[in-house]
Amino acid sequence: MFKSTNYLAFILLLVALSGCGTEKKAAINQQKSLASLSQIELRIGGTPHKIDSTKEGYYNVGTPATPEEIAGWDIDIRPDGTGLPPGSGSAADGEDMYQAKCASCHGVFGEGSGRWPKLAGGFGTLSSDRPDKTVGSYWPYASTLWDYIHRAMPFTQPQSLSNDEVYALTAYVLYMNDIIDEDLTLNAQNLASVEMPNKDGFFIDTRPDSTNTLCMSNCRDPDSIKVTWDASDLGVTPVSHMNQGDEGDEGNEDVQIKSGKAVNQEGLRVYNTACGVCHNSGVAGAPTLLDNSADWQKRASQGTEVVIRHAIEGYSGDKGMMPAKGGQMHLSDEEVKAAVMHMLTTAGVERAN
Amino acid sequence: MKDKSGVTQQVPKAMQKVADAAVGLDDQGRRNFLTRGLQVSGAALGTAVAGGVLASGENLPPNVPSWMRSLGPGVVSTPYGLPSKYESDVVRRNVPWLTADSVSSISFSPLHELKGILTPNGLVFERYHAGVPTIDPKQHRLMVHGMVNNPMTFTMEDLRRMPSTSVIRFIECPANGGMEWKGAQMEALQFTHGMLSCCEWTGVMLSTLLEEVGVDPKGKWILAEGADGAGMSRSIPMEKALDDSMLVYAQNGEALRPEQGYPLRLLNPGWEGNTSIKWLRRLEVSDKPWHHREETSKYTDLMSNGKARKFSWVQESNSVITQPCPEKGLMKKGRVEIEGLAWSGRGRITRVDVSVDGGINWQRAPLKGEVLPKCLTRFSLPWEWNGEPALLQSRSVDETGYVQPTLAQLREVRGTNSIYHKNSIHTWRVAKTGGVTNVQID
Repeated sequence: MFKSTNYLAFILLLVALSGCGTEKKAAINQQKSLASLSQIELRIGGTPHKIDSTKEGYYNVGTPATPEEIAGWDIDIRPDGTGLPPGSGSAADGEDMYQAKCASCHGVFGEGSGRWPKLAGGFGTLSSDRPDKTVGSYWPYASTLWDYIHRAMPFTQPQSLSNDEVYALTAYVLYMNDIIDEDLTLNAQNLASVEMPNKDGFFIDTRPDSTNTLCMSNCRDPDSIKVTWDASDLGVTPVSHMNQGDEGDEGNEDVQIKSGKAVNQEGLRVYNTACGVCHNSGVAGAPTLLDNSADWQKRASQGTEVVIRHAIEGYSGDKGMMPAKGGQMHLSDEEVKAAVMHMLTTAGVERAN
Repeated sequence: MKDKSGVTQQVPKAMQKVADAAVGLDDQGRRNFLTRGLQVSGAALGTAVAGGVLASGENLPPNVPSWMRSLGPGVVSTPYGLPSKYESDVVRRNVPWLTADSVSSISFSPLHELKGILTPNGLVFERYHAGVPTIDPKQHRLMVHGMVNNPMTFTMEDLRRMPSTSVIRFIECPANGGMEWKGAQMEALQFTHGMLSCCEWTGVMLSTLLEEVGVDPKGKWILAEGADGAGMSRSIPMEKALDDSMLVYAQNGEALRPEQGYPLRLLNPGWEGNTSIKWLRRLEVSDKPWHHREETSKYTDLMSNGKARKFSWVQESNSVITQPCPEKGLMKKGRVEIEGLAWSGRGRITRVDVSVDGGINWQRAPLKGEVLPKCLTRFSLPWEWNGEPALLQSRSVDETGYVQPTLAQLREVRGTNSIYHKNSIHTWRVAKTGGVTNVQID
């Protein structure tokens, strides 16, 4: 450390003085010092592969970490169970705690509430249009669940759970996914042996995976170019800062200016205030405007009146449940109808035609 | 027009005249000008308000502006300087429905307002999983342990005593653009590409710190862990750690902002932002990766066959036209400068091409300013806009020879459910009115 520091100081001094001394001498010194500088740079920022990281103690900084200090901070768990502390718990132990501390965000059955993560189910969906990535359907290791609950949950009180509680909650989430039995007591010895359904679902990054070329002219047939999406037709992003008077008539006019075509203004308004909260992101199986247009065609093929009635009265389908008027009972039937027409128009039917 | 408080104000006719005079618009141009909310209008209108005169144009030639006839505040009236009040629209923004709660969410940098390649510290995009912790630097420690010769803790003072390095590098969230795999839905450049910022970062090379503690040759991975309520953790391979990873305590010349990990963060240049753990408190060396939540449940790329890529760290070459863009349409026919940003996590940008016809024909767009590895790079091309509709695209190439792909090419290989690493060629549609929208084309 002292050598390097002295060198640096020396160089700085030389650089500072080089304008004052005889020019030749200064030039020689500067050359010398530049060589030294590049060596130092090699150490601190140059070609670090050459650094021998097995040597230690160059700068004489830091304090030895005591075993007690490390034990307090070393909270990570690995797939083979390394790091798991003493303690135990079963799903039966965890059920009441889950309902008290977790269900408000993750749902009574792990189905997730709003945008909060769904924990259970989703099996067999990973290659579908709407994959449902839950602990059960996606996570490769049970150890990750223990690690994450312990370090980050409950959301508002991280690291507040005892080890027994973390084991019990881990067991309960696995139980909700039918991965373990309700009575299995998890502990440091057996948790790593819990086999997750998607343990073989991952592979190491294989990019680069695309081979574009540097074509410069006549790269595609002009007739083949078709605009398939225009984001301004959807109206799902907060862009009031871009538009003057967006709440008034001029705002409506602006939508038309932007997209170059008329937009169902009433439907767009209702959609944005009442429907977008679920349908923008697709929570609880809500179809989004980005879903496959064939899916939307299927809905529309029942007849627009049926779709509107489902939206007004509520509907349960394969993918989820639409509450009557999306739970927004203050909406008039006409408003719901306008929103449905907006969704059908923008999401699929018109595009597919 | 909205002021800072979000109150909608009517724009008096007289103010329109002021604004029109300032930029010489005809009626058609004025309509675009007002509806697009162009920034020059903010400045011109603000000028009138600041003078306390809405209608007279008192501050315009031939009159002497009021600020030449009075005194302004003196030195240190604002000890830590702030942007002009007329720049209050240049802010980070979020899309509330993307996430459940702002405490675990993301915001976007206003790329349409940024110049050059550096992102001002207050405009760097934010990503939190448990909000921003308030950390007393005197009580912050970095613990390094595991397969090392000497487990140590370091104070911030210790780290500042070690040799420092400064680099200019971008940080990008791998979900940047991820809302658009299935279709165009973000209506602004800020939302299509704003999970991206670029700063000068200063700190200690991670290799230097590892040298300080001595690493067991069997140690191949490092767990990096943050001191936030999420205890954010990622496994970093030793090869990256010894290559260009840094322990960063400063950005753009000052201490890290709390949003960016104050007092200490990891920086993995060119890699997905999540690996650059903020509020860094612990590094543990081991022989295997940890497979924690953010490298299994999240930040893995689901392919159409239901299998997922893991450890997909690199942010591949990408580019976007920042002018014109949805926030800044074209105002009148004639020569305009198409300008944009290109970047690659694999090194330097070597070339950018621009198309104005949806990819039928391309032209080289010269790079301008600094061209640094793993850093935002500017490109620019003069263009005669004849008032006809256009489809603008940019295509970047990096020093590995990788050519930025089309969206169709990415979808072909990956499907549409991988969320992360969507670096495809982006299309803006220019309408006859000069308005610009975010579109996708087949």
